[in-house]
Formats: sequence, structure tokens, C-alpha cells
Amino acid sequence: MSAVDLAGRVLYELRDRFDNVAVRVVSRDSVMLKIWNSQPGVLQMWKDIVTHLLLGKRRRVAVLEFRVSSPEEVVSAVKKIEDYVARVEESELYADLPEVKKPAPLQGGYDRRVVEYFSDPRPLAEVVVNSALSAGAERVAGTIELEEVEVALATSRGFSESYRKTEVMAYLRSFRGDLSGHWAWGSTAIDLKSLESVGSKSAEILSYAKTKSEFAPGRYDVILSPLVVGNLMNYVASMASGMAILIGMSFLAKKSIGDSIASESFTLVDAPRDALLPGSTPFDDEGVETYDKPIIDRGRLASVLHNTATGKVFKSSSTGNAGWVNPRPWNLIVKPGDSSLEGMISEVRRGYLITNNWYTRLQNYVEGQFSTVARDVVLEVRDGSIEGYVDRVRIADKFEALLKSARAMSRELYDIAWWEVRIPTRAPYILVESVNLTKPVV
Amino acid sequence: MVIDEKLLTNAVDLALSQGATYAEARFQEDLIDSLVMRNGRVLSLSTSVVRGVGIRVLVGGALGFAATDRLGRESIEATVLEAISRARAIAPLMKKPIEFDESRVGRASYEAVPKESFEALGLESRVELGREVYKSVSDTLKKTRLSVLTFGFTTSSQRKLVVNSDGAYVRSSVPRISVWVNFVEHSPEKGTIQRFLDFGAAGGAEWLREWRVVDEVSQEASNLERVLVEGVEPPKVDVDVVVGSEIVGLVVHESAGHPMEADRILGREAAQAGESYVKSDMVGRFEVGGKYATVVEDPTIPGSYGFYLYDDEGIPARARYLYREGILFEPLHNRHTARVFGTLSNGAARAMNYASEPIIRMSNTYLKPGDMSFEELLEDVELGVYIKSYMEWNIDDIRWNQRYVGLESYLIVNGEISKPVRNPVLEVTTRGFYSRISGASKYLKFYPGTCGKGEPSQGVPVWFGGPDVKLAKIRLGVAV
Repeated sequence: MSAVDLAGRVLYELRDRFDNVAVRVVSRDSVMLKIWNSQPGVLQMWKDIVTHLLLGKRRRVAVLEFRVSSPEEVVSAVKKIEDYVARVEESELYADLPEVKKPAPLQGGYDRRVVEYFSDPRPLAEVVVNSALSAGAERVAGTIELEEVEVALATSRGFSESYRKTEVMAYLRSFRGDLSGHWAWGSTAIDLKSLESVGSKSAEILSYAKTKSEFAPGRYDVILSPLVVGNLMNYVASMASGMAILIGMSFLAKKSIGDSIASESFTLVDAPRDALLPGSTPFDDEGVETYDKPIIDRGRLASVLHNTATGKVFKSSSTGNAGWVNPRPWNLIVKPGDSSLEGMISEVRRGYLITNNWYTRLQNYVEGQFSTVARDVVLEVRDGSIEGYVDRVRIADKFEALLKSARAMSRELYDIAWWEVRIPTRAPYILVESVNLTKPVV
Repeated sequence: MVIDEKLLTNAVDLALSQGATYAEARFQEDLIDSLVMRNGRVLSLSTSVVRGVGIRVLVGGALGFAATDRLGRESIEATVLEAISRARAIAPLMKKPIEFDESRVGRASYEAVPKESFEALGLESRVELGREVYKSVSDTLKKTRLSVLTFGFTTSSQRKLVVNSDGAYVRSSVPRISVWVNFVEHSPEKGTIQRFLDFGAAGGAEWLREWRVVDEVSQEASNLERVLVEGVEPPKVDVDVVVGSEIVGLVVHESAGHPMEADRILGREAAQAGESYVKSDMVGRFEVGGKYATVVEDPTIPGSYGFYLYDDEGIPARARYLYREGILFEPLHNRHTARVFGTLSNGAARAMNYASEPIIRMSNTYLKPGDMSFEELLEDVELGVYIKSYMEWNIDDIRWNQRYVGLESYLIVNGEISKPVRNPVLEVTTRGFYSRISGASKYLKFYPGTCGKGEPSQGVPVWFGGPDVKLAKIRLGVAV
């Protein structure tokens, strides 16, 4: 049974039993090759159909997820929740599903070649691995994922649409002795040149790391690579969700639209309509047509991301970012500047280029107080040139302070998706002034 | 069990007949019910049913994994054939073929039986608990305002049947229960303070009595109010630091458990969760700390969040010493890493759900308790800091350089708990921590967590714990 048929069938069975029903069926066929010590570790494959249900009755809400293939089983499992819904109190966050127009389709987003590589992704792996080895890596580890997805949505408001897309994600970590470099890329289409640069860029970083430098904790001018920007913007954009603000999981809880939260040169966009980025979608989980919108526009908070229910609470309206219960960003784009990586390096008197990070955690979401650890080589910049390297320093600062100190963005943008950047992000290098860096002394 | 076990044995036979040297078929079903409330009112109910079969095969030294949620014979067989053909396709790239060890696998059936079933725990009583927590915390605060309190209640049931070509046949059933609370307190003069805390275990509703959620959360809220309103900066000189069991548990999970996962040591997780400061030739020799540095990993603790008796490769579970009196002792192994290390698996392979490959995971990790009371830990401290709980933490990808930012913390002056301290930062290396432990209390307490690892990322339930410990002379930072 196709995703569209399954969504329609489940909706047909449930529409008379609830006031609001949305059925979202995601059918997925994917292959993932994991590489370590320069050889395949495991080849994983999935074929599954996930059925998501939103059920509303007398202002009560339930959300269900099934990874079972028969519509009968989905419908019969709803019985228990129907009983719950009848007994629970009204939801604080309730809105009827919206009446929506037919969304404009997305052009692109499906590349047949992705599916053709399913049976043997070896040629893609060889491109990535060989380009790293020939750029100086001694050994490599990474992942290549290929995916074909069909998403179907049917709602009790008469909405019934579907779309198909493909996804490619590749990331590689290159090692030379104790040093490592990393690069990543995500797209809806195969691009051998980009795959090649995942390998080569991860290894080329290592050629700049010649002598190890001493490190003293303090404030420094820091250049963040697109991987670091991607990771941190995943947090910032997720905190722009209306639900994150409502439940105290956002530093934007104390802000209003129009407030200054970043430097004037900084713009962050939620971009569901960019069909080349893997998070693209023509409609959200309520059937609302998606559109690109700035979350931060030239330094000012421009949008809180909403579904119909959070939009109502904020006396606003859906931004096409449902997420039932929790609105979410789709793809992120940080607008480019007019600088270059070389130009940024030449401007730094005493600072660091952080090439990759992980493990971002917050002490206080409302204050945006966080730290994150550099995981690959960190290049020391002195008087405009790279002078050495340090390893595994930590950024420990506040998101708002970091955003307000962003001084320059590179012209060139990079499409990043990997383990630590789950919301695909097109990001530049960013030069940030006076960032607090730490490292243990014992 | 909603699957005919013959489908699994047939799948294994089919894989062998197609040239696999090893085959494994695992049925897994996870049923999860959740409730989320905000400020005492229901936000949403959710239910998920995740059920299917994962097939893993070794063909020509290459490992293939395929999963399907379609439980008919045809689709399971098709999944087996795909796993075989695609593993065969990458086999020519294998410079070092993957092999498994010669461990004896088990044939067993076990279940964790709740004393009070989830059915007895109706939706109304779950909602009522959320309301009580909100009301109690609101009523507790006198000098600050409760900005928001989010409450979550989850029960789950996990059933598995693992069959493999070496004779394993392991059927299991483990129910779990968890409660979490996130709240923010606000003071117009002092800003905000935020706490996330959770409770989790294997079993049923009986855990709620033990946890005393309303009292525990309200007490924490009251303590944190003092920290927010009266908290001072930590001393700027080297001081003795008493680290609470909540942080000790996290430290051993992050800096003993993870670096002693043999797949990390070998580099399998290099591009994702990272590698390890531990190299294989350091095991049994490298000194990471002193006599208090004994860390145990034990899946068999009854009622524990990370409970299991056989792992997902069919290996019997047992307790393992990761660090023993300061020496790296025994890494966590699956059958592949055990083969590389020339030993036998110690049963650490776990899969999050049917669609996840079994990989090396922790279960319940703890620092061995000492023999002191809490008061004895404090008594000879002239000036120090007691850090009881945390919010922010992280560690580098080789598990050496780590940071924990204290939440509920106090000065220690002349052996007594004194003023509250705000945001003290313990930033320390792994050896820096384990070599500075100069005393440990005799009380062992566990905390729940969901540990993430693998690609696609797999979250599995774990406990981590330990006693309160004293660290000798260390400089604390303060969060900006």
C-alpha cells in the first residue's frame, strides 16, 4: 500500500470518531554505509513506513506514531487513546486544523541517481575516501547515507497531498597521527564534486596544523567553520519554536519580535522551499504551505516558528512550521557576507579557527548559557596568519552574546548535514569577536 | 509475542544458505505511552508502537544490517536477501574482514515483572501527579516566581526475541517507567535558574512511591531559590570540592564508561561519537587514578533502567570492572571487538529498536562507594565547595577533557555547609578527576539517562551513579 493510500485509508476510518484528524505517513527506503579505519564497518538498510496521527476531540489532543504496516492495526490501536482522550482535560494548546489551499509544489528535490546507488554505494564511498587519502589523510572514518522518502498527509479538513524526495548525506573525518579534520555535506541530489570535497576538505585542514601551541583560557576572536555555525544555529533555530519558548527552553523567551539579538550583519533564514537542502518540504504537518522566512533579520528577531496552536497562543498565525505540538525549522540558511576565510584570518590578531565542534549543552536555556567542545583541530591565528594548532578547547558563552559579536561572514556558503547538524544548514565561515574559550588545567 | 518465531529461524537459515557466515534475526517491539503537561495542564498525550525485525549478516567479512516493519514471511526473506547482497557488494573493500569471537551464546527467556502494572496507573493519576508537582513547586517558592514547569510521564514496554546462527535464542520483556520535570524560577533582581531532573527505572508504578516525586522536586525548587537569590561566586583559589553522587554518576558514565567501549577504542565510532584516550595496549597497565577509582558496569541490577540479562548477540550479561583501583581493567565488548582483542564478549551489545544495529553500550555504570558518611567527607575541609547537581556538561570526543557546571552548590567552611554558590565550573581531565578523589561516601545512588551513540543515533536507557566524593585541591571556574 502506498503512503498516500495508507494515509487516506486511516483517515477514512477515524474521521468520524474525532473532531480533527491528521494522518502523516512517511515511507522510507534508505542505505547507510559506515566507514572506519578506511574500510566499510557496516552497510545498513531500512524499508519502513511510519504512520503519525494527530487526533483532536473536544479540545483534547493526542499524537501517535506507529511503525507497523497495516492500517487495521493502526486503527485498532487508536481505541485505547480514544478512551484516554475522552477522559483527559482540555489541552492548553488546542486549535482546529486549518483550512488550507493547495500548496505549490517544490521543483526539484528528487534525484533518481540517489536510488540507483542503493544497490552498490561503493563508487560514492571511493570518491569520498580516496579524495581524503590523496589529500594527506592516513586513515578516515565517516558515513554516506542515501534515502528516498515519500511523505503523504491527509487531514479531516480535506487536505490530501504527498511528495517524494531524495537525500544524500556524507561526512568524513580524516586523521593524521593525533590530529583530525572533518567535513560534511547534505543535499537532495548527487554531486560528485561535493562528495569529493567532503574528503579533500577534511584532510586539507590538517596541512595547516604544523606546530602545537600552548593554550591559555580567555577571550579571543574566533572564526567558526560552517560545521560549527551549523551546529550552533541548529540550537538557535530550535529555540525559535513557539513551543520551546512556552516551555522555558529558549533564550528567546525574554525577547519580542524586532528585538536586537544579533549583529546587524547576521541573518538566519528557515528555508523549507530550498529544494536542494534535504529538509525541504512543500507543506507542513498541518498541510499549511511552507515559505522561506527570516528567523533573525539583520540582527533582529524576525519570526517565531509556529503551528496553528502555538500561533494562536502568541496571537499570531502558523508560519508553516508544524510539527504537531512542537513547531520546527526545516532547513537553515545563514546569509553570506562579503568576506573570505583568508580575509578573516588576516584580520585576527590573536585568536583561533575552530573547525568542528560537538556536545553543545546549556546551563540555562532562558539565559542561553552554553558550552560546546572543539573536536577536530583548532588552528591558532596570530597577527593575520595561522601559526600553530591547539586541540579540544571549549566555547563557553551565551548565544545572544555570540550572535551580537558576529563581525564578518564569508561570501561562500556550504551545505552542511551530519551527526551534529541534523537540521540541514547552508552556512558561511563567521568571525566572532571576543569569545570565551576554556580548557582544563588539571 | 506477535511474531511467529519460525520466521526468525527461517530467516537465519536462509541467510546461511545464501553464503552468510553469521546471521542474526531480532524481533523487537517497543510500546511507549507519554504525557506532557505545562504548568499543571495537559499539553499532549502520545503513543508509539515500533515493531519489526532487524537482520544482521556477515558475508565475506563484511557486515550487513537490514530492517523491516513488515512481518510477513516474504518481506522478512526479502530483507535477508537484501542484507546479503549489499554486504556482498562491499566485501571486496574489506582489508580486515570482520569476524566474531567464539563466545557461548544463551538460550533463555526472562522478564522484568512490575510489582504494580501500568494498567493500575490510570491516565487520571498520571495527570494528577503532574498537577501536584506544579502546585507544590508554585506554593514552595517565596522569593522567586515559577516561570514555567513542564512535566513528562512515560511508560514503555520492550519485548525482544533474538535468534542467531550460533544457537542463541533469547526472549525478553522489560517494562520501564520514567518521570521528568523541567522548571525555571525567576527573580527580577537575580535573573533565572533552570533545572531538569528525571526519574527512571525498569518495573512498574511501584517506583513512584520510592521516588516521592512531589517532595523531591519541591525540595529542589526551594533549594534552588536560595541559590538564585543568595548564591555567591565560588572561591578563586584551589579548594577541596565535594562532588555529589548525581555528578559522580555522570562523570563515570562519560569518562570511564564511554572510553572503555572497545568499538571506540578501535575507531569504529571515530566520525560520530568519537574515539577514546584509551588505546588497546593501555588496558591492564594505564593508571588513570588512585585507589578510589573503581568503576563497575552491571546490566543485571534488578529494577535498573539499563537492565538486561542477555545482550542482543545472545551473550549472558555480567558485571564488569571498567577501572579497578585506578587501573584500566576491562573494556565493554561485543563479539567483534572481543575477537580483535583476543578475548570473549562480555555482553555489551544493545539495539535501541528493531531498526538499529546492536552496538556496544553501557547499561548501569557506577563508582564503587567508600566507607565515609557525608559529614566525614566535609569534616576536614576548611574552605571548599559542595556541588550537588548540574545542568550543563560536556566532554571531548576522546573522553579526556570534561566540564560540569554546578547548579545546587554550597560553600563548605570549616567542615560545615555554608552559603549557596552559583554556577561553579568543574573543568577537569579524566586523570585529573580520578587521581584527586581523596574520599568517598558509603551511599550509592543511581540516576537515569538516555545515552546516545551510533549512526543513526540510538538512545538507550541507562543508570549511572556513585557515592559523593571529595576531590583534593582544585580550582573552580564560574560560568559566564
